[in-house]
Amino acid sequence: MKKHWWKALGIVLVIYTIVFGFIGEVPRLPILNETIRNLYFHVTMWFAMVILMTASLVYSINYLRNGNLTTDLKAKELAITGFFMASLGLVTGSVWAKFTWGTFWTNDPKLNGTAVTMLIYLAYFVLRGSVDDPQKKGRLSAVYNIFAYVMMIVFIGILPRLTDSLHPGNGGNPGFGGYDLDGTMRIVFYPAVIGWTLIGIWITNLKIRYQKLLWKKNA
Amino acid sequence: MPAVLILYYTFATMLVQVAEIFKLNFTLEWRRKQSFLGVVLYVLTTVYLAYLVFSGVITPEVWNALFWVILIFASIQAAFRSFQNEADRRFLLYFGMVKPQVLIIGKTLYNFFYMFAIGLLATLIFTFLLGNPIASPGAFLLILLIASAGFSSILTFVSGLAAKAGDNPALPAILSIPLLYPQVLTLSKVSIRALTGFAWDINAPLLLVLLMLSVVTVLLSYLLFAYLWRD
Repeated sequence: MKKHWWKALGIVLVIYTIVFGFIGEVPRLPILNETIRNLYFHVTMWFAMVILMTASLVYSINYLRNGNLTTDLKAKELAITGFFMASLGLVTGSVWAKFTWGTFWTNDPKLNGTAVTMLIYLAYFVLRGSVDDPQKKGRLSAVYNIFAYVMMIVFIGILPRLTDSLHPGNGGNPGFGGYDLDGTMRIVFYPAVIGWTLIGIWITNLKIRYQKLLWKKNA
Repeated sequence: MPAVLILYYTFATMLVQVAEIFKLNFTLEWRRKQSFLGVVLYVLTTVYLAYLVFSGVITPEVWNALFWVILIFASIQAAFRSFQNEADRRFLLYFGMVKPQVLIIGKTLYNFFYMFAIGLLATLIFTFLLGNPIASPGAFLLILLIASAGFSSILTFVSGLAAKAGDNPALPAILSIPLLYPQVLTLSKVSIRALTGFAWDINAPLLLVLLMLSVVTVLLSYLLFAYLWRD
């Protein structure tokens, strides 16, 4: 039981998010209305993605140091789960944008950042697919992962702040904290981030174990 | 010997070696003129294609958009050539003579001039075929310089990576284009202002950020390139 507490915590936090995300008190705002609840699902997906991608980056750096194939496997699986979270963030964001901005996709710095992030990680997977030798594959993709992560952070973290955006917190729009003065949303938001991240790590963990079993079988 | 002096000597040797790599690349390029002419022809044909397809609808905005799209593809072509022919044999030779860091810095420097030349050439061909809407030539030239720095730092590294990953011809483009988006998006935004009317106080911070981005990229190449070539 000692080893599995975090999985239970993940489940509890996600259930908490879903229950209180839908019945909890939220600020009543024009245009946003009840869609503001999407904050618990859309924004948290991006937080979880960045956390998972950062973990993937750490494993890539470690792989360059120790050359252990398990480390490379962890980097890859974390990137895949991060990509999955990004896809969910994209879908929830698209739906939200349709209801508030009137369109599924628009030329906004954050949306461009998303597109770049997803394309970069797709390129990472293609790169992995085009090299056969496992050590070489690990090394090349680790190098690309590190290189790409820095570009991603520049693109989603720095450039949008220099230009206008429809998103809160940019281009004169107040940040989300400005809508949530009494902190009713914060008590769901942060647990949701942790919950989704833990679920992401669990998914990754299962896939790593599966791959290790495959290795053992083929060895 | 005091540590400072050793550091100084190491740095000086490195600079000399970087210059050697730069010179070597230039000499090789001169011997294989058809490679450079290939890139020139690539720019010429694509711009002519744009001229045929976009005739009559060229506004400064369209000019600007076409210019950056064509330049990015020409740069990818140019950069990938710089590794394509040597990934297999000549690299063994380099390996015994210089550190990988020296090699990547020298190549990046070489590609910087290469891409600046391509940028100038593209500007000339664009002027000839599609007209010249550039209102502030000085600013445009500076943007080209910064673009060359950004493109060469990213593309040299990624071409090295792609050359190592085998001969999948689509790989250089799919690996590098997403990484170039931040550069191109900002550059095209700034350069449209160079076409229509340039204000230094608005654009200088953006250009500075781009320059910083190139510095970070070169630093990353310096740190990571050693891992690429260790076989």
